[in-house]
Amino acid sequence: MKRIFLLVLFASAVLAANAQKFITKNGYIGFFSHTAMEDIKGDNNQVVGVLDTSTGEMVFQALIKSFHFDRALMEEHFNENYMESDKIPKSVFKGKITNLSSVDFAKNGTYDVTVEGELTIHDVTNKISTKGTIEVVTGGINANAKFKIVPEDYKIAIPGVVREKINKDLEVTVTMKYTPIANK
Amino acid sequence: MKPIIKIALFVVFFVALGGILAALIMFNKKHVDTSKAKPDYVLTATALQKEFEENEKEASARYIKKIIEVSGDIASITPADSNNLNISLKTGNELSSVICTFPASGEALKLKPGDEVTLRGECSGFLMDVLLNNCATVGKRK
Repeated sequence: MKRIFLLVLFASAVLAANAQKFITKNGYIGFFSHTAMEDIKGDNNQVVGVLDTSTGEMVFQALIKSFHFDRALMEEHFNENYMESDKIPKSVFKGKITNLSSVDFAKNGTYDVTVEGELTIHDVTNKISTKGTIEVVTGGINANAKFKIVPEDYKIAIPGVVREKINKDLEVTVTMKYTPIANK
Repeated sequence: MKPIIKIALFVVFFVALGGILAALIMFNKKHVDTSKAKPDYVLTATALQKEFEENEKEASARYIKKIIEVSGDIASITPADSNNLNISLKTGNELSSVICTFPASGEALKLKPGDEVTLRGECSGFLMDVLLNNCATVGKRK
């Protein structure tokens, strides 16, 4: 009897542990630049994101070549001249929700969070911190954030003539719709 | 004006015109239309995923930036941002598929999970799945 009890305890612990990890392989990260001369938008719908609701840890991974632009030439310059995506194919963010206690993952609703972590773009890692929201919905969790980055912080060299067409800082939008890992 | 200078001016003028035209064409260059483009490789989703899983470096060198025609069963369809949707194709591996991003218009909207399809797209590489972008449907059998 004791053995069965332990087994049930173990099984429920495993199940609970599973339910604490959420994943998406269809996450969105986009960036936007507005200047008087030109609007530039890059969209990536193939971001892998993992969220651990027990620790608040968040990881994102994206391929640079998955960013899509309206203009083919822009996409080419982005990959070849600025991001050097043949040499550096991925970007990664590893971070944590710092106010995890203010999110009730058992109750549907939208919660304001602060996320801090390390963002690696173009092989350069910087600490970043941003405000965002966690939305607990039936069957999953959505995460949204908007923040700004400066290309030069990541040693992305943009020649003077082109620099004027790109805003000093780029607005980055993150939209994730996670589902529990156990269901995958 | 000496004839030689006239000719030289003519040449300079046409070279400049050619340059401006070339720049305009480059600037307005369109993305490859994968619904019409000739594929560099034709294979099944299972075979493509397996190649990346077994040797990512070799498969990356072979497939990235190439146009791939891939066939398989649709595992799921996920709306991405407002302009796109992702279709993932089943492979032999439960945890890893071939994810294809489509413009959310046209043929792709008619597909549903379980359909056996042939798709064409440009390979971006491998994260947990093989990723294809700028996709178009080529055929549907079921």
